[in-house]
Formats: sequence, structure tokens, C-alpha cells
Amino acid sequence: MSAQMDNNKENAMAQEGFDPRILGFFCHWCCYAAADSAGVSRYQYPPNVRVVRVMCTGRIDTRFVLEAFKCGADGVFTGG
Amino acid sequence: MAEVARQALADAGVNPQRMSLEWASAAEGPRFVELITYYVNKIKGLGALGQGENEPEADVIARRLSAAVKAAGARKPRTAFGTLAKKMAKSGDYSPEAVSEAVRTKVMPGLRAERIAEEILICLADGAKSAADLAAMTGADDAEVEKALTALAKKKAVREEGAGWALG
Amino acid sequence: MYCPKVVVDTYNERLDITSATHIDYAQAIPASYYIDAKECLRLNYETCNLCAQTCTAKAIDFSQKPKKLKLDVGAVVLTPGFGKVDDSVLEKFGYGKYPDVVTSYEFERLTCASGPTEGHVVRLSDHREPKKIAFLQCVGSRDETCGNGYCSTVCCMYALKEASVAKEHDPDLDVTIFFMDVRTQGKGFDEARKRAVEKYGINVVRARVPRVDEIDGRLGLTWVTDDGKSHSGIFDMVVLSVGLDAPEDAQKIADIAKIELNNYEFCQTTPGQPLATSRDGIYVAGAFQGPKDIPESVTQASGVAAMASELLAEGRNTRTVTLTYPDEDTALEAEEPRIGVFVCHCGVNIAGTVDVKAVRDYAGTLPNVVLYEDTLYSCSQDALKTIAGKIKENRLNRVVIAACSPRTHEPLFQETLRSVGLNPALIEMANIRDQCAWVHAQEPEAATEKSKDLVRMAAAKARLLEPLEQPTVDVTPSALVIGGGASGMGAALSIAEQGYKCVLVEKSDKLGGNLARLTWTMDGQDAAKVLKDLTSRVKKNKNIEVLLETEVEAISGYVGNFSTTVSREGKTEIINHGVVVLATGGKEYKPNTYLYGENNRVLTQLELEQKLKRGKSFLKGANNIVMIQCVGSRGDDMSHCSKLCCTQAVKNALKLKEAKPDATVYILYRDIRTFGFYEDLYREARKQGVQFIRYTLDRKPEVLKAGRGIKVRVYDSLIGEDIDIPANLLVLSTGIAPGENEALAKIIKAPLTSDGFFLEAHAKLRPVEVAVDGVYLCGLAHGPKSLEECMAQAKAAAAKAVIPLAKGRVAVAPIVSRVNQDTCIGCGICESLCPFKAIEIVKVGKKRKAQTITASCKGCGICASHCPTLAISMGGFTDDAIMAQIHAFAGDNCGEEA
Repeated sequence: MSAQMDNNKENAMAQEGFDPRILGFFCHWCCYAAADSAGVSRYQYPPNVRVVRVMCTGRIDTRFVLEAFKCGADGVFTGG
Repeated sequence: MAEVARQALADAGVNPQRMSLEWASAAEGPRFVELITYYVNKIKGLGALGQGENEPEADVIARRLSAAVKAAGARKPRTAFGTLAKKMAKSGDYSPEAVSEAVRTKVMPGLRAERIAEEILICLADGAKSAADLAAMTGADDAEVEKALTALAKKKAVREEGAGWALG
Repeated sequence: MYCPKVVVDTYNERLDITSATHIDYAQAIPASYYIDAKECLRLNYETCNLCAQTCTAKAIDFSQKPKKLKLDVGAVVLTPGFGKVDDSVLEKFGYGKYPDVVTSYEFERLTCASGPTEGHVVRLSDHREPKKIAFLQCVGSRDETCGNGYCSTVCCMYALKEASVAKEHDPDLDVTIFFMDVRTQGKGFDEARKRAVEKYGINVVRARVPRVDEIDGRLGLTWVTDDGKSHSGIFDMVVLSVGLDAPEDAQKIADIAKIELNNYEFCQTTPGQPLATSRDGIYVAGAFQGPKDIPESVTQASGVAAMASELLAEGRNTRTVTLTYPDEDTALEAEEPRIGVFVCHCGVNIAGTVDVKAVRDYAGTLPNVVLYEDTLYSCSQDALKTIAGKIKENRLNRVVIAACSPRTHEPLFQETLRSVGLNPALIEMANIRDQCAWVHAQEPEAATEKSKDLVRMAAAKARLLEPLEQPTVDVTPSALVIGGGASGMGAALSIAEQGYKCVLVEKSDKLGGNLARLTWTMDGQDAAKVLKDLTSRVKKNKNIEVLLETEVEAISGYVGNFSTTVSREGKTEIINHGVVVLATGGKEYKPNTYLYGENNRVLTQLELEQKLKRGKSFLKGANNIVMIQCVGSRGDDMSHCSKLCCTQAVKNALKLKEAKPDATVYILYRDIRTFGFYEDLYREARKQGVQFIRYTLDRKPEVLKAGRGIKVRVYDSLIGEDIDIPANLLVLSTGIAPGENEALAKIIKAPLTSDGFFLEAHAKLRPVEVAVDGVYLCGLAHGPKSLEECMAQAKAAAAKAVIPLAKGRVAVAPIVSRVNQDTCIGCGICESLCPFKAIEIVKVGKKRKAQTITASCKGCGICASHCPTLAISMGGFTDDAIMAQIHAFAGDNCGEEA
């Protein structure tokens, strides 16, 4: 697992310094909606975040955040 | 939750700044973009997981976090967390200092103890280790390891084997 | 995109250009393009036709012709909004002559992140950032010379907002707002004003600027302050806070609808019936009824819905069509997941950036995916039909749509699932448009990779999706209205007229509340008449049961099924009902200052009215009458503005002048807030010689005993010293304090504002609902307001309250929590944390167990994330599903099975 990870990391580093993999937990009513509206307005932002939609940030269990890092996320962004 | 997650990450050696909690209302597209851009750049600055300042190697982090996930699912730390959330909802005091202090004193001791115990079990999975080795691997001090081992031994999860310990 | 005809963008106040084929703004509904018929080359010159040729969805049909339609309707609602103040009014301030004099509408577009300058405030003359901006208030308002004698009500607040936004963007900006009076009387507005002034350091000057001059490419202003001193200053930009005018075609509308207008060409209404025009069956809402802000407009909109619903009560459900669906194929749903993935091009919206075919093929490599296809527009009617066909043909039991946002389109695809006998919960969307293609347009490769990841995560979740029940619960078809004042009676009457039973509980021994203490309405009509009309209609209505001397002790249950315990004459009773309307009112603030209660020559405004009504003998020898505003309000005891005391004081001052023309009436005030058409009363009072003296918080008036009489000492800024007014009568404008709301708030779990009034679920979107489903709000319980506003709000609350009653069943959102009672330990953490009172502890055998009240649950999941024993799972968002998404996110990096 770690060898694979290192391998990926090196690839990433080689490409453009470092391209982090970030997991986002977005609240359906707030941040997810804000992200949609950013899209409608065609704002541009870095493509590093993958999103898990939840109905409320209250749903986010500490285990989800820890699990994401365990699986190699470089960052976790929770948006309410 | 965010504060518990941050402190649990720190406990596992991960820079807690990697976890971020921000607010953007449905109408705040521009704010969202600012937040995300800032955050991605911050993570770029921190480097890959396991390569940040003072962070252990990625496989160590993965092991610690495996244990931490289990710990965060265990009843005792969860009860402590739930009770604290209940108390804070009642008092209405959500100032960062108060939250941080409460999590540090009420939730983390139990969570850390549980994490150490879980991690010992993971460490022992590939063979017996000495208490000192276990302390080094889990990042805990001798007293914490001894306490965890005693508790685990009571549940027959581990047993003494020669100078070290093995799974029970 | 292909339209070659460039036109000015009127949505952006002509500050930008667009094409003849456009969407006005990003949030426009429907979010589809339209063709500006005045500008289109095809329509005007029969050339071009490019759009019709390039539209891959073939959605443009130039053969369409305007049609005349005849509609048979039972009621008409007029909501034409407001019109623009004529440019000739703005020209007085250099608008049109100096490019850096802009209207507040233009400034709004400049501060908007999606506006023509992307939120950068620039001068239109040189596109440089201004350093110093002045806002001039009351342009086209409170100005008889332009025919608009009224106050536009909203400009003070919007100027503060625009100034704050500009300061947030550029903290070094110097902003001055020139007010005559700062009129931020709405709920929570004074607090917002304070924040704006303190946080952003906005300069507030009370002066009217008469004109704008150009000086060396900058703009010079001169003004005179209260102390009589003249000032001048140079600014880079001047913003004219333009008022709200009557709609341009108001007269035409009035002629067509045969309704009466007031002297300003707004719709004529009365305080008791603010939403009724002069013609039966025709109603009015919003700014056409008078200048107003969004919360009040939205409230009125609900209010007119109630009025139409009253009128049409008999016809309810006579023209409804019911949709039917095939039975759910539970056997298929229980099979090993058979996932179909549909990747949408959305024309060029997605396919222009993302390699859709690569994403589609990638989807084929994922476990359990048995069908993977791409579609041009997944949401088009024929595509939905095709998808439905493919689901059947391939016996799919899980569907992933990689397209736009589930927030906008999931319901559509869920309908498709239902139409082929699948549970609507068995779909997952991957948002590869709004949150991918559109926002990473410059990075097609990264966007394609992200799309693949999102599809992988969606498929991982889809594998674990389970059918969710679509429960509905029966509704007890009656309402409980708490509080028998004007608002409570208004709400009860409307609910009853709409055809539903209603119990009206009042804790005192009679109906009327504060209205019973009022003598005249704001327009000088007899308040007793309004009261009598309301009470007699309430008493006559067979649908209303009135319970006097009754208090609410407990409310249990949820929307559709409330059960309330009331106590009456020492006995308790249970009332079952489907909805609750809170109309508990407020109360007159009773001060302990200014000799109130010590000297019988010191009265409150309400007390003065009552005395005046009895006769004018008490005014004998009262040559000097002083009124003090904001006693209690906007101060230490109550931070809020009570909104109506200024108008009340002016109204009573006029009554006093009428009763005793030779008396001098002084009104000591901080800002005169006679908003809307009440400004007419203020102007009239000045004409009648009422003396207005402004005081500030650091120099509040003092009331001193002088022998047996009273004298009022106030600082007169014009002469620069204190003056003593011997007062034969002192009238205190004491404002409105909240009622005893805490107990009820606890019973209902409804939050209060810091001022002690009930907090609405959303100021603009849900102004008459509280956060708890099935509970509605109106009148002074919500905040200080005039009778007119109370009556509109009562109608609005009634409209909202009738929705569940009329439906007869309330659908319960399927995304709810479920407690596994085998592992639940009954600790009660979930119960105490639930923001919606949707989880309760019940006895199961001898043990305490948590149980979800599904009708109240909003699916937030706080209970699940805080459960010590992981006994709570969330429909559609189970731990396993979210963990699967996390593992799918990590892909090969993860030790777990992806």
C-alpha cells in the first residue's frame, strides 16, 4: 500500500510540484449549494477536491475524517 | 466534531491544519471559491500526507489512523464526545477556546487510550513485540503502553510472551 | 453562444453587454435562454437563424406566434412590483452628466461578484478604483418636488448593505452616507446598521445634499448639518439611493382591473385589509401596495394566496390530477446491484471540457456496472424516456447519473425511476457539470480525472443504496391559534374561511389583545371598528372555537398530529390539531424613567389616545406638550426599534393640534421613522407647526420636576445649548416589548431572537414559519409592527398553515434517521442534540430507547454522528455508504476494498 502511495506521490511531485488529493464533505443546503452556484457563475478553482454530499455537516462522523486520511487524503475540507 | 477530528489527527501525528471546517451559504459562490482556492494552496504548502513538518511516514500514519478510526467508533470515547456535545448545546458556549479545552480534557484522554490499545493490536498482528517497541511504534509513553497492555491482557486480547507481548 | 447580435445588458444596468439570446442572470428561473424579440436579427430582419441551426436540442422554433389566451379564474393577484424614478429627478444630482454619479442599482451590479466588473467597484469615467464614495439618500423619495412625497422604506438599509459590501471588498475605502433620518426600522435592521457602522467604519451624516458639482474630475458636495454649519467635501464617486416609484403602467393596470390607486399611483388599501384592492376578488401584494422590502413582500405574497384560497375554498381539489406509479419491483431491488451509469454531455456544457466518452468507458470498469452510456441531454423528455427504457431492458436496480447537481435534477431522475417501478432512493448523481466541467474549464484533463473519481464514488455509493420508504402521515384537519389579538383573529378567520376548523385560545378574558387598547389606526380610522368587525366575524364563524382564559401548557407531536394540553378554569384539556399558529402578541413597554408613574401628567402614547378619545377637557391649559421618542426602544432596555412609535407620535401630535390648535407640540426624536406613506403624516405635522428636535444618545433629554409641573431639558444643536421646555403634558413613545415568549418557545422548541421575539425560519424565504415544521408565526410575537403589517402577516401564516391541512397527508422525507433499538442504550444524547425535536426516548419493555419521529426528522444526521453505540443510521447516507465513497475516493491507495 505504502509503496503504491509513494509511487503516486512521486508521480504527482514530478508533474507540477505536488497535486494534493482532497476529500470534501459538503452540506447539501449550504456549501454544496454554494459550489453549484460557483459553477453557474463559471468561477474557476483548483480541481483537487472530490465531494461527498451530506445533508448537514452534523452528519460527519469523526471516523469519516480519520478514514479519509487513513486512505491517503492530503486534506479534508468540510463545508457547512 | 471538527475539533475532535483535529485533535485525533494531531494524536496520530497528522498536521491538524489538513482538516478544515468552513461555512459558505447557498448564495456565497464567490466565497466558496475563495475558501477552496485558499485551502488547496494551503495543502500544497503542507506537502503530501506524511511529508509535512514533523509528520511520520505515510504508512505509520495509516496504521495510527486505522487504530484511531476504530477508537472513534468505540463506545467509551463516543459517549464522552456525545455527552460533551450535549453539554455545549445546553451552555451555548461554542468559543474556540472553550471547545478546544473541553475536547482536550474530556474526549481526548479516552480516545487516545483507545487508539493506543487498538494500535498495539495492529502492531502485534505480525508478531510479538517488546513494550518499548510498542511505545516507539504508537508514539505513546511507557506508562500509557503499560496501562493499555494491562487492560488488553485482562480481556485476554494480548498475553506476555518472553520479554515481550503477543496477541492473546 | 453563437448569437452574433450584441445588445446592452439591461440586467446589469446597461453596464455590460450580452447577446440577443441570453439568460438574464445565473439564478433566473427557468434557467433557460430566451431571445430578445426587439433585438433578434431573425425576428426583425429575417436573417441569421444561427441559433436555431446550432441548437443540438432543437429547442428554438421561430414559427411560434403570440397568442391571446382567455383564462377563467376565480381570483386575481396583482404583483407588478415597483417602477423606476424618472431620470429627470436624478439629473438634479448630475446623473447622466457626470459618469461617476451612479444609481444604487448600478452600484449594486458593480459590487456583485457576477456583475460586469466581477465585484470590483470602479469609477465609470476612468475605471479606476474610487477612494471616497458618498451615498445620497432620499433621491426620488420624501421629495414633493418630484411628486414622491412618501418614503421608499428600503433605501437606508440597502445603502448600508451596499456600503458594507464595498468596504468588505476594499477596507481602505472611505464611505459616507448622507441621511435625513436613518430609517432601519425592520426586524434586526438596527442591529445590522450598528454592525455596518462599527465594523466597517461607515460615516453617517444627517444632512440632505442638494446638488453635485464636478471639480477637477471629482465630485464636490456641500451640506448643512443640524447645528446649522455648512460643510463641503470632494468625492470620487456619488451613489444615488434611488427610491421605489409606482409601476410605470400603474394607471393602465388600474384601468384594466378597475381598482383604485392612491395619490402616488400605488394600489389603494386599508390598514385592516392591506391586501384587498377596492374590487372584490382582486388582491395585491408587494411593492405595488406600497414600498417595502423582501421579507414583507414575501409575507404579503403568502397572504394573498390565503385570500384567494378563502374565495376558492369550495372549489378545492375539483380540478386536481393524481399521478399514479407502477408497483415497486422489490424482488429486482433485492438482487445483487445491477448499476447503469449514464454520463451526460449537457450539450457542450460538460462535453466541452470533460472527455465524456472516456468517463463512460471508465464507468464500465467499475464493479456491478452492467450498463454504461452517454447521453446528449439526460434531462430532456426523450432522454428520460430512453433511460426509463434502458432501466427496464437491462433490469437495472441502481442508477448513476453523471451530469449536473442533484439539488436541481435529482427529483426529475427519481420520477423516472418511479415510473419504471424502482424506488426513487436508488439513484446517485455525480455532479460533473456544476462542480467540475464549469469550474475547471481551463483544465480538461484534470476535469476528466475528477469526473472519473466522482463517478467511481457515486457507483460505490449506489451499490449500497437501499430502497427507502416513502411514508406519509394523516393530518388532523384543524389548527390551533395561540393568541386572540388582531393577528390571531385574522389568522383564525382566514383558516376558517379556507374551510378548516380552528381553535383560538386566548389567555385573557376577551378577544382583542393590543388592538383593544388602540384608539386610532395609523390612517386615523377608529380602531374599535376594526376590532368589532374582527370579533363579530370570529364569533359568527362556525369553524372557529374560541377558548378564553385558556393557557397552553404543553404541545407534543409533530406536523399533522399535534396534541396540546391547555388549562382552563383550573382544568386541563387536550386539543388535537394538525398545525399551530403563534400569535401571542407583544406588550407596551412600561418605563421607570421620565417620572412615568410618579406624575399623572406623564403618559404613554396609548394612554394619551385613550384620554383624547374621551374628550379634550384634559388639554385645558396644556400649552406645551412634549413627546419623547425611543423611550425603551433602541436603548439599554430594548435594543430593537419598535417601528411604529414615530408614526404613532406624529399621528397623535396631529390629533392634539386638531383638539387644541394653539398648543405647541414638541417631538424629541433620534430619527423620525415614518416610513412608506406615513411620511405624509410627518410632513403634515411639520406644516401644522409641530416642533421636531433631534437628540443623540449621549445627550438624552432630561425630565425635571419644576414645582408641581415638569420641565424637559434637551440639547438644541442649532443654538448649541440646552433648552428647557415647561411641559404641561409629557407623552412617552415607549415602544413594544416582547410578550412572555420564553415558556412557549421552550414548549415548541422554537428559537427566540436576542430581543425576545420569535425567530422565523428564514427572514426572506420563510418569514412566517418557525424552524419547527407545522408551526407558523404572525403579529407582534414576530416583532414590532403596525396593524396593517400584522393583518397581512396573519393571512400569510394562515396560508402556510392550511397547506398541510389541505393536503390531508404530509409526506415524510425519506432521508430520516432510524434507530436500531437492539444496540441503543437509551443515553438520550441524540434526543438532546436534535435541532428539530425529532427524536424521543420511549420505554420499550423496561428499557429506555430512542425513537425517530420521522415526520419531524430533517435528515441532518447529528444523532447518527453522536451516537455512542452507532445505533442510528441515516436513510440514503448510511455509514457504510459514506465509507464506501471515502474508499472509492482513495481508489487504489486505500487498503480497503474500493
